[in-house]
Amino acid sequence: MNTAPASTPSERLAGFAALLREHGLTVGVAEQQAMLQAVLHFGPLQERPLQAAWRAIACHSHREWQLWPDVYERFWHPEKLRGGVKVSGQTRPSRNLRQSVQAMHEQMNAASQPGGPKSAPQTAGDMPSVGQDEYDAGAPRAQGGASRTEALHQRDGQMWMPQELSALQSLARQITAKLLPRATRRWRVAPRGQRLDMRQTLRRSVGWGGELLQPAWKVKRQEPPRLFILADVSRSMESHAALFLRVARAFALEADARVFVFHTRLAEVTPYMHRDTPAIQEKVNAVTAGFGGGTRIAASLQDFARHHARAQLNRGSCVWVFSDGFDTDEPELLAAALQEVRARGARITWFHPTRQVPAATALQRARRSIERFVPLASLADLAAARPVLH
Amino acid sequence: MTTPDQAGRPATEERLLRERLQRAGYLADADLATTVWLASALQRPLLIEGDAGVGKTALATALAQSQSEQGATLVRLQCFEGLDLAQAAYEWNYGRQLMAIRLNEADKAGLGRVRESDVFSRDYLLERPLLRAISQSGPCVLLIDEIDRADEAFEAFLLEVLADYQITVPEIGTIRATHIPQVILTSNGTRELSDALRRRCLYHYLDYPTLAREIAIVKTALPEADTRLVEDAVQFVQALRREDLAKIPGIAETLDWVSALFKLGHHSLPEDMAAVLGTLGCLLKTREDRFVMGSDRLRQLVEGRRSVGVAEKTPGLHQVSS
Repeated sequence: MNTAPASTPSERLAGFAALLREHGLTVGVAEQQAMLQAVLHFGPLQERPLQAAWRAIACHSHREWQLWPDVYERFWHPEKLRGGVKVSGQTRPSRNLRQSVQAMHEQMNAASQPGGPKSAPQTAGDMPSVGQDEYDAGAPRAQGGASRTEALHQRDGQMWMPQELSALQSLARQITAKLLPRATRRWRVAPRGQRLDMRQTLRRSVGWGGELLQPAWKVKRQEPPRLFILADVSRSMESHAALFLRVARAFALEADARVFVFHTRLAEVTPYMHRDTPAIQEKVNAVTAGFGGGTRIAASLQDFARHHARAQLNRGSCVWVFSDGFDTDEPELLAAALQEVRARGARITWFHPTRQVPAATALQRARRSIERFVPLASLADLAAARPVLH
Repeated sequence: MTTPDQAGRPATEERLLRERLQRAGYLADADLATTVWLASALQRPLLIEGDAGVGKTALATALAQSQSEQGATLVRLQCFEGLDLAQAAYEWNYGRQLMAIRLNEADKAGLGRVRESDVFSRDYLLERPLLRAISQSGPCVLLIDEIDRADEAFEAFLLEVLADYQITVPEIGTIRATHIPQVILTSNGTRELSDALRRRCLYHYLDYPTLAREIAIVKTALPEADTRLVEDAVQFVQALRREDLAKIPGIAETLDWVSALFKLGHHSLPEDMAAVLGTLGCLLKTREDRFVMGSDRLRQLVEGRRSVGVAEKTPGLHQVSS
């Protein structure tokens, strides 16, 4: 393991924790203490078990589990990284989604710190030396992975006023309230219930010496349906992507929807939708930066059904697809992919940015699996669709 | 600071744990063994995620079995939608309470007068898995299986149990664990778990095993099966996992399939595709997957396996033995 003589192990660990936090891992004081405990248990020279232990402590989800090897190597073994990574960091015309979202996250942090950006050290060697209070911003450090992104929000036609955002949120609230609830197997006590709640009734009878004077009733508890939103952010949809993502975000907050974006592949962006800061409102369309090269709707939908929502798609699920339906996959593949989602019991609604239902062949063939088509080019369209969304 | 001797101790303990698990029929890799050991050392629950059939539940049962000499017991709580406190933690034995009250009323002399504290004591408490686990006087492994199937309300209740190993019963107070159980939670990802629950647990993602590891697992579970049959079958399953299937076969499916082939008297993977197709129900569990994997595709997979098998077999087995 890289041991920079300039800083103490606990300082290096704090630097590593800060880098993990920058990558979206939840590493608080408790996790840092546990990581330090692991060092005491295994000793600082036992790298393999120590790394396994730290991974178990710092990761809390599969996404973080997959992210770990990259971040770990970047911090503790920067010398192992390929040459290009250390010196990159400039804006590139094509980036993958993770890099774009990471850049968005960094910009958001920078916006919330008036003193200017002050990122976590990227390698163990970047740590401040003992006695050095201020982090030396000029020191050489790795910049691998994330980089700056274009400010897409500055383009005309994509500016949103605060009142429009609050109108969208209220609209999302109203639509969510109207979504057909699904009955669960859980019961709740209700004065006008249809079934006798024996446990509560007996509990109440104790106060009356065992006489059943106060019956308690129960009804089946209902929950809102699981909502999945898949937004097309390919080049052809670039001008509508901002609206789609804002609508998706409103439903992520109101209906706890899971939000995915796709172009040639699919990625989940739900965690970014839940950050309720003004900065994210303005930067949310940065997610679409660098996309292009066609739209593989069928492949993305298949990936969605088989992997991302494999265990969650069922009779109580609603799948909303925001797209114009122009697919670079074979036309019959979209019908098959939608049929696969439909076969799991989910209801599919297709939102298209055009007035008429798109004439794309793939979409025409898949019509049977789609419950309804809804035009969505503005906030007014969403308001108009309110009666049919349930 | 830890002395060098102390620092070396966990590595030994971790190795011992791995050996104990192996004796119990579970082949854990080094990272998993470290995590399980750490969860026990830090007294933290361990959340294991992964696809169905990769051995999440089997780990808990093997862990309990590996400590059976110390008298460890396995307490299992199978989660489902609608699971509540009465089914997971405790419930008052209302029938017995009412009977005690009635008997007291029938006692004309009133000598055995019942007070409220008498009917709300541990004697009238029905222990469910969570309370049973924290009431154990010896080592215990608590398996909370498929936690994602329970709802958020239950998850919130679990926080108290997992953080402090205690359960509060309003009528009698807080019951604390005398012996901290080793808690293993498993999840298949049908629902996103709360951050609060995740943060209380150590985390491990269990993936499908490598070729060498899976061969070793099958050999451990089915020692009587021919080595060639095991190697051929596992290579075939590994190739099958790379196919575009709706339900990817897990380790449990591999074991079922090898067991089926062995019971049919095969000593290696049959040349006749009809024989393979006849037993494929052990691996493929949906109609679409059966349709995709026709005899032609199967033959391609088997032939592909035979061409790569020779190159992969030897180094793969070396990894296990080392």
